[in-house]
Amino acid sequence: MEKSYLGEFEELVLTMVGILQEEAYGNAIVTEIKERMGRDVNLSAVHVTLYRLEDKGYVKSSMGGATATRGGRRKRIFNITNAGLSMLHAIQEKRMELWKLLPQLKFADL
Amino acid sequence: MKTQVQPPKWAIDFLEGFCPDGLFECILGDLLEQFDADVEQYGDKKARRMFVWQVFRFFRPGIILRNKFKLKIINTIMLSSYFKVAIRNMQKRKLYSFINAFGLSIGIAFCMLIYLFIQDEKSFDQFHVNKENIYRLEEKSYDTWKKDNEDPYRRSAYLQTGLREVLKDELREVKMATRYNSGASGIVRYGDKIFTEKLTYVDGDFFKMFSFPLIQGNADKLFEHKQEVVLTPAIAEKYFGDEDPMGKTIEIDVNGNNSYTVTGIINKAPANSSLNFELLIPQQNRPYYDRNLDQWASYSTPTFVQLAKNTDLQQFSDNLDKIVDKYMSEDLRNWRERGNIPSDIKVLEIEYTNLSDIHLHKAVSWEKASDPQYSLILGGIAVLILLIACINYVSLALTTSTSRRIEVGIRKAIGAQKGQLVYQFGFESLALAIVSMVIGLGLVVLFLPAFNEFTNKSMALTATSLLELGAITLILTLFVGLIAGSYPALFLSSFRPAQVLKGGFTSRLKVGFTKPLVVLQFALSAFLIISSVIMYRQMQYVTTKDLGYNQDQILAIPTQTGWNEEANKMVSRFRNRMQQDPAVISVAGTSSSFNQGWSQYGYEIDGEQKDAYVYAVDPYYIPTLEIELADGRNFDERIASDSNAVIINEALARDMGWEQPLEKHLNWRNDSTGLGAKVIGVVKNYHFLSLERDIEPMFLTMDKENAGYLTTMMVKIAGDDIPAALEAVRTGWKGLAPDKPFDYTFVDEDVARQYASHQRWMSIMGLSTGFAILISCLGLFGLAGINAVNRTREIGIRKVMGAELMNIFVLLNRQYVWLALIAFTLAAPLSYYVMDKWLSDFKFAISMSWELFALSMGAGLFVALLTVSYHAIRTAMVNPAETLKYE
Repeated sequence: MEKSYLGEFEELVLTMVGILQEEAYGNAIVTEIKERMGRDVNLSAVHVTLYRLEDKGYVKSSMGGATATRGGRRKRIFNITNAGLSMLHAIQEKRMELWKLLPQLKFADL
Repeated sequence: MKTQVQPPKWAIDFLEGFCPDGLFECILGDLLEQFDADVEQYGDKKARRMFVWQVFRFFRPGIILRNKFKLKIINTIMLSSYFKVAIRNMQKRKLYSFINAFGLSIGIAFCMLIYLFIQDEKSFDQFHVNKENIYRLEEKSYDTWKKDNEDPYRRSAYLQTGLREVLKDELREVKMATRYNSGASGIVRYGDKIFTEKLTYVDGDFFKMFSFPLIQGNADKLFEHKQEVVLTPAIAEKYFGDEDPMGKTIEIDVNGNNSYTVTGIINKAPANSSLNFELLIPQQNRPYYDRNLDQWASYSTPTFVQLAKNTDLQQFSDNLDKIVDKYMSEDLRNWRERGNIPSDIKVLEIEYTNLSDIHLHKAVSWEKASDPQYSLILGGIAVLILLIACINYVSLALTTSTSRRIEVGIRKAIGAQKGQLVYQFGFESLALAIVSMVIGLGLVVLFLPAFNEFTNKSMALTATSLLELGAITLILTLFVGLIAGSYPALFLSSFRPAQVLKGGFTSRLKVGFTKPLVVLQFALSAFLIISSVIMYRQMQYVTTKDLGYNQDQILAIPTQTGWNEEANKMVSRFRNRMQQDPAVISVAGTSSSFNQGWSQYGYEIDGEQKDAYVYAVDPYYIPTLEIELADGRNFDERIASDSNAVIINEALARDMGWEQPLEKHLNWRNDSTGLGAKVIGVVKNYHFLSLERDIEPMFLTMDKENAGYLTTMMVKIAGDDIPAALEAVRTGWKGLAPDKPFDYTFVDEDVARQYASHQRWMSIMGLSTGFAILISCLGLFGLAGINAVNRTREIGIRKVMGAELMNIFVLLNRQYVWLALIAFTLAAPLSYYVMDKWLSDFKFAISMSWELFALSMGAGLFVALLTVSYHAIRTAMVNPAETLKYE
């Protein structure tokens, strides 16, 4: 996490791309975040974030096949790249290190 | 499938418009997927709403900025090519380009002028540092004469002379206050320099409240003494030349001579100031000042106050009410009784207006105050003209499209995309708009002096205002270029290359919207043409009408003696002195010359209220002015009883119902003991008032004590060499009264000045007519062009079948004659109505005969035909082989 920095939302979207694999496109990510995190996010925000991640090289995209449900429009499917994966790993490790440094406090009984 | 509901098409188009091509498909796909789900969950309406909202959510920098870069690259590569093509096109069609640019530049110039006007209106009095806290006090009083139940009040800026002192002494929030009386004049002397000057009476606080910079003098000390005067640099220069004016003493003569010491030099007020002055002297010098100080029923003095910062205005109003109660209650009680004013109505309140608002506060009359509605109306006109110019531009651009469709076809065939063509044509219209902007700015500079004269302003273009104007024009130009250029650009770029290049292109230009527009434009010009013609006729009538006396070569010279017996002596002394001079034919005295005021007397005859205008004259008056006597004789100095006799005009005789006026007496002074003044003569009616007024009852008398002193000399000079005669009169005056200024006016000019505002309106109408005709001709020209283009082939066939040039000419022009006729039918009643109102200002007016309308219509039709004939003849002359060879 030295060179590049990921925002909290970017990290979330990137993780979702990793989870959804072949099914990672705009709407699916919005639904997934809603289901797993209980958080309402806006479609346009997800799109913008996906493009930004693509610029940074953490995901790459390709057009999927045509479907009947979307007025015949194809999906843009996102895949996490190796760079993206190692970024997520790095974040996770750093966070665990920090976690270990935290004194094991208990919630005080008041 | 499961749903037939579609999201709004325009939202999709909008998305396509701003969304980068590569992303559009997947974004729209996601949106549609969401939409289908929403339809299931929330129903059609809400889903559609949500869809639109979602589209707008995508309208964000993260998306939009992704496509900009790509387009910019294309633009810069092709830019030089576009530029070259635009220049070539302009050169190729010089006339079209010129007409197009000219129409737009007129629109732009008009908008600019009106922008300047509105800016100037808004800038009034904004330069005062303390403007937030300075207020002008106003009288709001119940007006028994005004029959308006909604607002039965009179508002005026004139208040009691003593009010300022009282406010300053008794109200803590009033930090400073000054009275301000302008409009008086006096004779100013310094050495051998003697002129009549405009005087302004103020208080010392004036210099601290307002931001008129003092060049010399100390604002804190000014007007501590009564005999001080502050001058503008122009006045200082006039009297003192290169000398230092400070500390010098000048004499000012207002009902008596007094000496004043110059203690300050103050900058002239800018043109956008509601306050104006040349010589400022302390209020205490006003005639009858001390007497007026406790006259609480006399309203003669405008007053300005500067309140402490953060004053509670409600509190201030309450305090003003208390002042009114304390000082004026007695007067107000009398007032209430006399006017039968109901007790629930306040007879008098003192209101106030902030300094920066007084210019547009038209309820209270003030020197330059104007109606904010003018700005609105003018702004509306400007926008309308610009809009019409834009639409004309569009229709003109479409007429040239035939010759460009081959170009479009080839460009497309070698790979130009629609977007690129749109950019190209858009660029061309922008280039043209910028050319128009330059012409428009030139027109502004050219017309500003005339515009100033019309609007009675003195706006000037300085470097900063020019810069600001330039910036605004640029924005306006870009806007116009885009608006006007977009339709032709989209239209031209949509040609199908295969069709165009094959040559079988027969589509017609559909421009349904231009026809009603042309009628509208034409109706507007017709209205203006008719109005101008009528106004011109009326002004011609007014200036050439025989007034019943000879106004030529007569000088009106004030005797400068004040209002006393001296005046009469001055007239006879001057007459004696000039008797031998061949330059002067005769000299007469009167109480007031034409258009320099009048006096009217009311008297009661047999219980009936009558009134008449009175002029004090001497026996030379009637012969000098060549007024004709209908009956009786002129005054004679040798007959003693003539000194209180009268000569009446025919109107007065008719008013009194006298058959034999010479046997009557006119008891105009309501003399209870005698019969009154004997009538010794009757003059034929002559126009002693302006032609806006009837010839009303009037009489001449030598009874100077009661009717007025002879404060004006009427000097008839010889006509062959007017400058020499003027010089002779001046020399005579200087010999007789070396200490008085020689002011003179020509009577015929004074008379003409009565119609100055009408004259100005006539000029405005004339100018607007010119512009309107020009613009509507452009519109007509464009429409005729489109029509000719559409019918090229038809005309070719007709010619092959043997049609003559004349037939085709008539065929093409017939419909414009119709359009013009419709326009005139619309315009005639409107202009009749408006001109009827205008003419009703004059008691002596021309009648609006049908010839005037026919004449205007003929002129308009002629111009219209001239405009459209260009296309008609051009199309009719084309060799049919040219137009038909592709068939």
